[in-house]
Formats: sequence, C-alpha cells, structure tokens
Amino acid sequence: MVQHTQELRKLIAQALPELDVVLAWTSGSNQLASAPLFITAEDDLDKLDFGPMHVQNLAAYLPSLKGRKVGIVTRGCDSRTIIELLQEKLINRDEITIFGIPCTGAVNIRKVREAADGQRLRSVEAGKDIVSVTTDEGVRTIPMQDVLMEKCYNCPSQTPLIHDHMVTERNGCHMTGEAPESTLDKLDAMEPDARFAFWEESMDRCIRCYACRNACPLCVCKDSCVAQSRDPHWVDLSDNPREKLMFQAIHALHTAGRCTECGECERACPMGIPILAMKQALNRRIKHLFDYEAGMDMENTPPLFMFRQQEEHIKERDAR
Amino acid sequence: MPVLEGKELRIVGFLCNWCSYGGADTAGVGRFAQPTDLRIIKLPCTGRVNPLFVVRAFLNGADGVLVSGCHPGDCHYTAGNFYARRRLEVLRELLDVMGIQPERFHYTWVSASEGQKWKQVVSDFTARIHELGPAASFSNCPAVTVETGMKAAI
Amino acid sequence: MSTVRFLKARDIAPWLEELSRDFTVLAPAQHGSSIVFREFDPARGIELSQLSTTPAKRALLPPCETLFEYETTKTLEPPYKTSIELKPTLPEGKSVVFGARPCDARAMQIFDRVYNGDQVKDPYYTARRDNATIVTLACSEQEEACFCDRVGGSPVDATGSDILLTPLKAGYVAEALTPKGEKLLKSTSFMKAEGLRQEALNSRNRILEQVPERSSFLDMERNLLSLFGDLGFWDKTAEACLSCGACTYLCPTCYCFNITDETRGESGRRIRTWDNCMSSQFTLEGSGHNPRPSKAHRMRNRIGHKFSYYPQLHDKTLACVGCGRCVSNCPVSFDIRNAVACAIQQAGAIQEQAHD
Repeated sequence: MVQHTQELRKLIAQALPELDVVLAWTSGSNQLASAPLFITAEDDLDKLDFGPMHVQNLAAYLPSLKGRKVGIVTRGCDSRTIIELLQEKLINRDEITIFGIPCTGAVNIRKVREAADGQRLRSVEAGKDIVSVTTDEGVRTIPMQDVLMEKCYNCPSQTPLIHDHMVTERNGCHMTGEAPESTLDKLDAMEPDARFAFWEESMDRCIRCYACRNACPLCVCKDSCVAQSRDPHWVDLSDNPREKLMFQAIHALHTAGRCTECGECERACPMGIPILAMKQALNRRIKHLFDYEAGMDMENTPPLFMFRQQEEHIKERDAR
Repeated sequence: MPVLEGKELRIVGFLCNWCSYGGADTAGVGRFAQPTDLRIIKLPCTGRVNPLFVVRAFLNGADGVLVSGCHPGDCHYTAGNFYARRRLEVLRELLDVMGIQPERFHYTWVSASEGQKWKQVVSDFTARIHELGPAASFSNCPAVTVETGMKAAI
Repeated sequence: MSTVRFLKARDIAPWLEELSRDFTVLAPAQHGSSIVFREFDPARGIELSQLSTTPAKRALLPPCETLFEYETTKTLEPPYKTSIELKPTLPEGKSVVFGARPCDARAMQIFDRVYNGDQVKDPYYTARRDNATIVTLACSEQEEACFCDRVGGSPVDATGSDILLTPLKAGYVAEALTPKGEKLLKSTSFMKAEGLRQEALNSRNRILEQVPERSSFLDMERNLLSLFGDLGFWDKTAEACLSCGACTYLCPTCYCFNITDETRGESGRRIRTWDNCMSSQFTLEGSGHNPRPSKAHRMRNRIGHKFSYYPQLHDKTLACVGCGRCVSNCPVSFDIRNAVACAIQQAGAIQEQAHD
C-alpha cells in the first residue's frame, strides 16, 4: 500500500500543474477519520493516503466542480458513478483526469463496531486481509472478509472502468467470498406488514439531516430538492416516520436506473439507517426488466429516460 | 367525503384525460353499476403520473391505487404511456420493499369507448382491495381523510 | 448540604419505571446501530456505556413541536369568507432526562440564555424547562472525539444538572444539586449513602486528572471575528463539507428553528421544527437572494456563532460543549476542533501582521 501511495503521489504531482484541484483521501488523527482531501499544491500530497479505511465516493464532488479542471482518485465502484454522471452530461469528460487505483475492498466502520461488541473504538488499522482494532480492552483483529462494505462482496470491477492514469496493479487480490446477509435479504424474507413495521421503526430515528441526499453523487438538485419545497408540498415537516419514509421513496425513485449502489447514502447516515436496501431492490427490478446496470457504459441511456414500444420483459397484467 | 362506516375502502385513481377518464364517463353515461370506493384524479396523461403520486397516496392512507391511461400506441402525446409503463413497473418493486403489498397497486389501459371494460376494471380492482382489507398505516401519525390525502398527492 | 444517595446499577430500571408513572422519562437506548434518547421502555432497556448518538436536547427543544392548532370553516354569509379557530397548545406534564452527560446538561444552560433570558421568554421552552429534571451521569473517561475540557467544561461538570450521578463499583452515587433533584432522591430505590460523598469526589478527581493538557478555545471570540473577511480561509475549511445537517441536528447546543403551517384539509397545526444553518435554505430570502450563498459562508457562520458571536453576547460562554458528536458522525470526518484551532492560529497571524 505504501508503494502504491508513493506511485499515486508521483502521478498526481506530474499532472497537478494542469489541474485546478485533485480529489483524494487523507487520514485524520487516526484511521477512524478518513476524509476527502482537496489537493491544490504539491505540499498537500504529503497528506494523501488511501486504503480500505478511505471510503468516501469522491465523485460526489464532481458535479459541483463542473467547469474546472479536476483530477480524481478513483476505485472501480467510483468509476461507475463517473460514467453515470458522464451519461447524464452532468460532468464533462475533458475536464476530469482520473487516477485509477486498484481496490482491495472498503471497510464498513459500523460492522467493525459491531464486531468489537460495542466496545469503544480508539483506533483502527486495516492490513491486507485483517483489520486490527484498538479498544479500551486492548487490540483485537477481525478478518477483513467480515467487515467490508456491502458493495465489495459482489464487486464487478476492482479497477476503474475508465481512467487516464493507473497505479500499477501489483497484488490485485480482491476480497471475494460469501456475502453476509444484507438488509435486502432480511426484508425479502419478511411478510409485507413486517417490512412496513421495519421501516416505521427504522425511520423513527431519522433526524432529517439529509446526509443521505447530500452524500449521494447522483443527487444533483441538492439546494433545490423537492423534499424541501413548500410548493409542491411533497413532504411536511412533522417529526413522524411517514414523512421521513416519503423522502426515502423520493430519493430511491429519483435515482432509479441511475444508482450505482455506491452505498454513500447508507454510509453517510449518522443514525445508521439501512436505506440502501430500497435502491438495491429497484436496481434488481431494473436489471430484470431492462437488463441494465447503471454506470457500466458511457454510451447507454438510463432505462427510465427511454422506452421501447414492445417491452420484452414487461408482462402487463390485465384487470381481469 | 367520509368513508361509509367501513364499508368502503380508500382507492385513488389517476386517470388520463383523453382515454380512461372518457372511458369512465362512458361507463357512467351507459349507467353501468360500479363500486363507489374509487376517487378519481384526472391528469393530462399517464406520462404525468409521477410514481411518487402513488407512494404519497399510500403513505397518506390509501388502501389501493389505480392508474389508467390510453392503450400503448394510442397516447394523445404519442409516448406518455410508454414512459409511464416503465416507471410504474419499477414502482411495483419499491412498494414491495416498503411493505405496501404490490397487489394494492394496478395500472391498466382503457380507451374512451371502453365503458364496459372500465366497469370491469373498477369492479375487479375494488374486489381485490376488499379482499386485502385496509392497508397498514403508521401507528403514530394523525389520520388523513381521503380528500386531503388526494390534495397532498398532487 | 445536599442529599447524597446510592443507586445500585440493577435498581436503575425499576426506578425509571417508578418515575414513568408521573414523568415522561427520556433515557438513552439502543436503536439499530445508534444510541438515542427516547422515552424509557423497560423492554428496550437503557444504554449508558457510550455517549449517545443524539443529544438530550429534545427534552427541552423537541425536533417538532406544535405551537397551536387551527381549523378553518367556510362561512355561509358572505360566502367567500372563512373563519379560523385557533387552539393554543402548551407543553404539559413533567419530564425527567436520565443519563444526560455533563456536556448535555451544560448545553441546556446555553438554551436558557436565549429562550429564557431577561428580554425574551419563550412560553413553550420555559414550560418544558420548568417541568424538566436533568439527571446527569458523570463520564468515567473522555472518548476519542470529546473536547469538553477545551470549551470550559469537564467530564464530571455538574453545570445545568439537577442530580449528578458518579459511577462507583456496582452503582452510582447520586448527589442532588437543586430542589428538583432533592425531590427525586426521595424514592425508595436509593440507599442512604452520606459517607460516599468523599469517595465520589475522589473518583471524579481521578477522572479529571486523566484529562490531557490541551489548548483552550475560550476567550478567542474577538480574534475569530478578525477572520470574518477572509473568505478564502473558510472556503478551504469547508471544501469537503456536504452541507448536510448531521452536525447541527446532533449538536446539543444548536437551537435554531423553523416555523411552518402543516395543513390537512380544513385543519392543521403550526409547528416549530429544528432548522439547520448548514443548509442553503436557512438564509434563503423570499426574493431569491441568499446572504450565505456558499458552504464557506455557512461554515463561517456555524463556527462564528459557537465560538465568537454567542460568547460575545453571553458572558464569554461558548455555544459549544465539546461533546464531539459532530466530529464522530460527520460523513466526511470534518473536525471542528481542527477548524477552530486553525482559525485561532490564522487570526493570530493576521493580528501579528497588523502590529508589524
């Protein structure tokens, strides 16, 4: 990883004179606090770091930087977001420079907390296939396999689908294996009433901070979101799960056929509400109906932006 | 309009102006007897049906939602119902994962001349909703009346 | 001399159950992967092992509160007129907040200066405040993101509490600090424990000794103000910010609100809900003009308010209690401690230049 970081620094340093800013990651005081890094000068490169603990999808910043020359450090999954943004013409290809890195999976910090049995985390360090966690009771190691983000288990491409520069792949071993039971699996096993009750209980702790929306790279309305408009009045401000769930429905439907399941919505949620499941369900349906996956091909049109007169997989049910 | 002592359930219909609304009118003019649970909201085209109208109606307490428009190929605006078909098919999955039984939602195509078909659609859908009974609702939210629920849905 | 009692750890739940008969009891409980303050339910239990994700502020400032209800009626004559009937609502009933941390309790005094000051008395707030008893649990150590010591507090600070609980082996020493607190200690769940006063004090002192020596953010309000015009600094500070409201809604001291009418048909209610200064809509004017158009403006306001404007207005008290919730829950790990430290440093540099 250290070698990779050096190589990445070199690549960025070479390209930096041509660019306004390069988006990368940095570590805070300990590995618990990975944060986006905006590189504008060579001095900033010292702070650059990447690895399994650096989780933010940096492509979320791209639409707001449109018009500037931007470099971006990109993993496989993030590149799908970039492709989707390009498909929708929300960013221009000639304005962005993609620094591809091989990814070995990203750590879901909530799962680390769970694996530490609710012990307070002092620091976390990610190795090749283990995560060592320092808690008040000492250091313990957890297999990386158990604490990955959901998207990593079925990752179709650990290297970016598009890139301008690429950090050489040396040990491109990706964590594969059985994915643990996801929220969507759990929901699938429930009766409809239980599912409804699940959302009622989960949304009860939503604080309406809209971190899910603002972290979402495809939520590009941001300041003009319909959820905060008074006319039309889609969502009222009462503190009840119905209105909060309504917003999740808005988010899910507005990203239907566009969402690449980067998982930023769920990761950003300070209350840990498993809202990715809704988007996964819609993607599953879209895959079945239109044989389409978002962010795979720059030339494709998102399925809800188009139609066919004869839809192969839509079996319309007659009222009778 | 108050729900009649629990005998009626709350069904919201989003109908396109050109075909299905005309079809419903034809059924009325033809004096075909139909169940009275359905409350119709007229829209210019099914292409105007934001799937969120349906979600909002359910979250406001509807027990069933029906969307009806022109037959594919007959859209007054050429392609509105083709877009609607894709959106509404995807919506079905969202309702399912939210815990709203997808059977409570139905979309169909009825032309202005098909009064008889409209009667059948309404009768069958109403019967289906009655079989399913009232939908689950959020326990700690104030109840919403049919009318205000509809207003909020648009 | 205040009353001192002892509460065995296993007597907490029975005591809260007893309290639930006369009070609305808010206590931290596990909710999914978070710990939130919610109404005590023996089935859900309580969770005191870590700082809760949400602060205790909802006891005094609920996320959504009805100011009044209204109903409109169409009059027959003249037909175009509508009459409106208002039904005032004031919060009723008494509440107990159990398991607030010293930072949470301290934060409530920050509200008091705003909502219950000499000039303005907010009837909704004061009704809740007068009827609330705060039972604070002293922290046994500081967590990773904690910095109460840098903003004038401490892990064992009793400011704003009615009862202070100090953890000892197998239970808690409870000290009443106000008459409201005294009343609660009359319960038979407590054991007599006058002799434990000194032991509790020793325990708290030991915790205080563990607090590291760090630079303080106090008395910087004028310095920070000198940085107000340097938008480049704030641009750099806020570059990664997503403009979400996680920090404000999880902040025990943020008290800004929004007021809206939520009408359904002929009736509705006027509600007051938490607002978020990190959102662009917070200052968006009816004309479309926005005096804080970028996240840099909003970050400057957030930090300025907490560390400069508020202390200038209110006896140098910071509007930050150092709970660290904004630090540990930020999706992009924005660290207000670093931001303030940088701002102080930068402001110092500006002043030195001015002297040269």
